[in-house]
Order: sequence, then structure tokens, then C-alpha cells
Amino acid sequence: MASDDTLPTLKVLLIGPSGAGKSALLTRYCDDEFDPETSAATIGIDFKIKVLNVRGKPYRLTLFDTAGQERFRTLSTSFYRGAHGVLLVYDISTRASFLSMERWFNEAEANTVEGVALYLVGAKLDKADAREVTTEEGQALAEAHGAKFCEASAKTRENVRLAFVDIVDRIVQTPGLIQNARLGRAAGAVALGNGGSSGSGGGDGYGAYLPGGCSC
Amino acid sequence: MESLADTLWDVVICGTGLQQSLLALALSRSDKKVLHIDPNDFYGGAEAAFSLQEVESWVEKVETGKEGLFEAASVKKLGGDTGLSFPRAYSLALAPQLIHARSTLLSQLVSSRAYRQVEFLAVGSFSIFKPSPDSSQKPTLVRIPSTREDVFSTTAISAKAKRGLMKFLKFVLDYDSTPQTDTWQPHADAPLTEFLLKEFKMDQELQTYIITLTLSLNGKINTRDGLAVIHRHLSSMGMYGPGFAALYPKWGGLSEIAQVSCRAGAVGGAVYMLGTGVKTMNDKDDPIVIELSSGDTIKTRKVVRANESATDRFGINRLVAVVGSSLKSLFESTVEGAPKPAVAIVAFPAGSLSTATGEASTSPVYLSVHSSDTGECPANQSVLYFTTGSEHASQDLLQQALDSFLATLSGDTVPQCLYKLQYKQLQSSAHSQANRSVFDFAPPASALAFDDSILQSVQDAWKMVLGDEAVEEEYLTFADREGAMDDDESV
Repeated sequence: MASDDTLPTLKVLLIGPSGAGKSALLTRYCDDEFDPETSAATIGIDFKIKVLNVRGKPYRLTLFDTAGQERFRTLSTSFYRGAHGVLLVYDISTRASFLSMERWFNEAEANTVEGVALYLVGAKLDKADAREVTTEEGQALAEAHGAKFCEASAKTRENVRLAFVDIVDRIVQTPGLIQNARLGRAAGAVALGNGGSSGSGGGDGYGAYLPGGCSC
Repeated sequence: MESLADTLWDVVICGTGLQQSLLALALSRSDKKVLHIDPNDFYGGAEAAFSLQEVESWVEKVETGKEGLFEAASVKKLGGDTGLSFPRAYSLALAPQLIHARSTLLSQLVSSRAYRQVEFLAVGSFSIFKPSPDSSQKPTLVRIPSTREDVFSTTAISAKAKRGLMKFLKFVLDYDSTPQTDTWQPHADAPLTEFLLKEFKMDQELQTYIITLTLSLNGKINTRDGLAVIHRHLSSMGMYGPGFAALYPKWGGLSEIAQVSCRAGAVGGAVYMLGTGVKTMNDKDDPIVIELSSGDTIKTRKVVRANESATDRFGINRLVAVVGSSLKSLFESTVEGAPKPAVAIVAFPAGSLSTATGEASTSPVYLSVHSSDTGECPANQSVLYFTTGSEHASQDLLQQALDSFLATLSGDTVPQCLYKLQYKQLQSSAHSQANRSVFDFAPPASALAFDDSILQSVQDAWKMVLGDEAVEEEYLTFADREGAMDDDESV
């Protein structure tokens, strides 16, 4: 169990229309679970963490779901901040979901840094019999946006790992991307987590005025 | 997926300004059904941050009177498109408020775990603008000494003044206990400047230093409020690290906190709609029936919204300028081990500027300088936020302040101003109001530093929504959401 916060952290987003199967892919990849009953919008998951070794180096992969904010297209600019990679997910058995992808690509491109790794996933490959989108159409859309592409099924596990591993591989191979996305705390960032030095700087507050400042 | 009309909502929150967004965060672990809407197609309301494109459409809306609290907005690109980067490289804040380290907002962001998604930067020096004594010299910026070390080392003031200043700083740190209270309470409602003169024999220059630390928009803050604000400033110093008293959220200030809070609301199950407002509302019925501008008709038990009608005609004028320089000299840390500041404050005291017709300024002008570390502009540029209380020549004064500031900078070439946004923000003395099922937040304040008093209204609204289920001790206190990490995987 690596609880090491010092690992380089990669931020990867899953976006796309409601019901495309984003959360199912995420849950299959992170927890190896699939629940055919849950088609309700995702509640309670902020992000999932997975430690992944790519080319011999460990990374802390944080995977952000849309938290339902895709329903009325209300994802905020802050959601996209610092993203290294974006998985754009549609449902191969729903034509409308594929047709919305151009807008999702535009949104992702507008809100992320140059060189961000984009990856198009045609989900629900297990429903290939009822497919409304051909593999070639998906491939062509991905190529038009410089993205990689695969079709996957959270139900059968097919290609699920491939999509996540490929996007991480692409992120770490893109020179400067990790620095450019600036998810890592910039110099000058102030850490709030320890609650401040209310002990040493607090009290009568005069501690801050002693030469040498406070002990923090 | 349930349709909007089929759900009986526990609360409809209208607007995504800071107050409404913090409410969404506060409700994010309750099992209440929350519909959060905003007539704007962006997050943050009066606390939003904009790309240059978004600025343009916002200015158009202000000009058609659709942004109640704002008027007289205009935008100007100088020198064509050269120098400016692409529109999304900018994130200009409507409310670039600094947050003191002791603010309850920060402790609430920590206890609610929302702080993990926000990056905080240090606010560095506070300086005063000094006009040039004659035309052969440049005007200058003088740093305000606000720590004991500063006071000892500064060469800007006399030894006598130093003793007075030290005596005052010591007084303020413990101002709210006896015998200090006996000293200031008789002057509580009198201007702070009078108190400083009477009790500390401060000359006008030292008074100006102290008034600047209060960030009082009209410079006329009373003794009670002034001491409280300076105490907040001094006791915040060093709390999160040496050499700074206040923080600023990267990427546009409070806008970022509003967005992160809304995300937390969504994670908790709230449904979000932008570009959707309340068209009609019948609050005589229980549940309340609302017709949304999207055409949906919905039912809800409670409604929380913000009063956005300005009742007062006074307000503030702002000038936001992007300049083509990193202004490095303003962002040097002065204390060893201090984080590199991303924000610096400059005050132009009353009387230090004059309009084109030769009238001296009667209110201070404040400038918040943001480096590109704030993410609000690209590298080698800076964003200047000028603010002053509205007077008839405010626009002119702000322009004078910009020119004067640029003239203080050393070097052969004065940095070029690439972009200007000007607007007026109206204020209101209205307080938050509630009846049984409808809560109205007061319009957002336009102060330069975040004022904790709005946090009480947010908590009051939270209590109204939760009713008997509200447990005050658990307010905004949540565990981390992220699950345990999975086993390592190698590729």
C-alpha cells in the first residue's frame, strides 16, 4: 500500500454525456466491480486513486468523475484545472451520445493545457449487437482531435485497463506535460492542511512579532 | 434519471456566488435533495473570474442591465492584439479579495476538506504610493512596516515614529482586553485617525500606514472596526508561514472557492443547472412551485437566493489592467523562508492623486497587483486591480492611479498596459433575510478583504434548510471522500 503523497500525481478526468458509462469504467478499473443495476447518476465519489507503475516509475493516478455535472453541461473550469489527461467516453449503442462528443472535445480542449493527453473511449462494447456507432467512426473522431481510441466494456472488462494504462503512458511520455499542468504545488503555494500555527503564532499573537518570526 | 419535475426538492439554491456555493458545500453530506441553479451561464455570480472572451459577454450583459449589481462596464484592448495571449490564458477576478489567515472561511474549507482542490498563495507586501515632490523625480512606493522586525529595520520613518508604531502594534495585539479597552472604547465610533492622533500622537504619515492596513475604502473607518481589522491582520501574520498575513486562492480568488464548493455539492448529489433562473415563484404554497426559465416547473420545500437589487447608489469603481511586465520587484519575499508572494497591495492615500482638472482625490485608491503565479495571466504579465469608492471622478482617478503606479517602476521603459476593464459595482446595506421557507442572502460585499460576517448567513441558511436535523457541531466538518488506494499495479 503506497500512501506516499510524494509520488508524482497525475490528474485524469472522465467526461462525456450522462449514461455513457464513465463511472462503470472507473469502478471496474479501480475496484474491479461492475453492478448492472446501477444506472443512476453517480453520487458520493469525488475521485479515485490508483498507484500505477509505468516504465518502472510509480505514479499516483487520481481519476475524477463528473459527479453528475455533465447532465446539464455545468462542469466548472476549476474541474479541468491541472488535468494531465482526459478520457472522453460515449456509449457505442447510443448514436446521440456519440454525436455529442465533438462538443465534449471542444470543452476539454478549451479548458486544459496544450499537449493534454486525450483518449476517446467507446463504452459498452458488450452491446456490440445493438451498436449505433461503428468502430471506424470512433477512430476517425479520435484522430481528428489527436486522441487515441479504443472500445471497451466495463461489464466484460475488455480493454478497460488498456484505456487507463495507455493514457497514463501517453502523459508520462509527453515532454513537459506534467510540469505544464502544474497540478504539483507551485513554488509559493501555502499549505493549509496542518491548520496553521495557531499554537506558536496564536495565543496573544505577539509571537509573530518576535524577531525571527514564528517557528513554523 | 429522474426528471426535474418529478422530484420534490428539499431546497432550490439560486445563484452560484460564494454564499450560495458554500451553502451547497455545507449541504453536500446531508441527504437533502438540492437543485442548484444560476441564471448566469458561469459560476461565481459577483465573485466570478473570466477569460477575456467571457469578460466581453459579461460587459454586454451589464450594459443591457442584466447584471443588477454592476453598471458602467467597458473593456479596451490597447495596442491591438499584440502582447495579449489567447483569451483563456486569463482569469480576471470580479472579486479579488484577499483572505486573512485567521478567517473562519479558511478553517471551514479545511474542516470540510474542500481546501484540497484549491491552491492558496501568499499575499506579500503592503505599500503606500508617494507622489514625486517635484517633476524631476519619480513617484515612489514605500513598504508599510507591519511586523516588529520591519519597524526596526525600516528607514522610512524616524526613531520617534518607530516607538509610536511599536507601541500601537503591541496595543492592537491585545486590544480587546483591559486596560486597552478603557483606552479605545470612548473613541469607538470616532474615526480611527482621530484615535491614532489623540492616544498615540501619530502624525498623518503614520496614520496613513495604519489606515492602509485596514483597507478601508473611504479611509474613514471608525476606531472599533479599525482596531478589529488591524488585529485580524497582525494576528494572521505568520499563521500559515513566515512573512505573510493573508492568502489568495489561485485562478481568480473567491471564484475558485465557489466552483470547488459547487463540485462538492454535485459529488453529494446536488443537480446543477447554469443559464437557468427562476421565472415565477409561488411561495404561498407548500411546497413552493417554481417555474424555471428553462420551462420546467418544479416543486421545492425551501428556496435560498441572493438579493441582487442594489438599494444604495453608492458603490465602488474598479479598473482591471493587464500589463506586459512580471513586476518582479513587487513580489520579493522579505522574510527568510517565506513563500514567494503572488499578490502585493499598494494604497494611494487620499490626496496623493489628482484628476485631470486638478482636483485632489478624497478617498484612497487601492491596488492589488497579481503576478502570473495567480494563474490570472500568462508569464511576463501581471494583473492590476484598482478599487476606489465611487465618486464623480472615480474613473479618472483610477486611470491616474494606473499611470502613477507605472511611473514608480524602475527601468528605462514603462511597462505597457495591454488591456483594461472598468466597471462600477453597486452596494447595498440590505441584510440577509429569511421567512419560513425562503432565505435571501445580502448582496455580496465589495470590500478588499474577505469579511467573515457572511459566513454566519450561510450557516443560518443551512439551519433553515435542515431544520431539526441541523447539528451545529457538525457544520462543515466532513471526512475525506477519496477511497483507500488500490494495490500498486505495474505496467
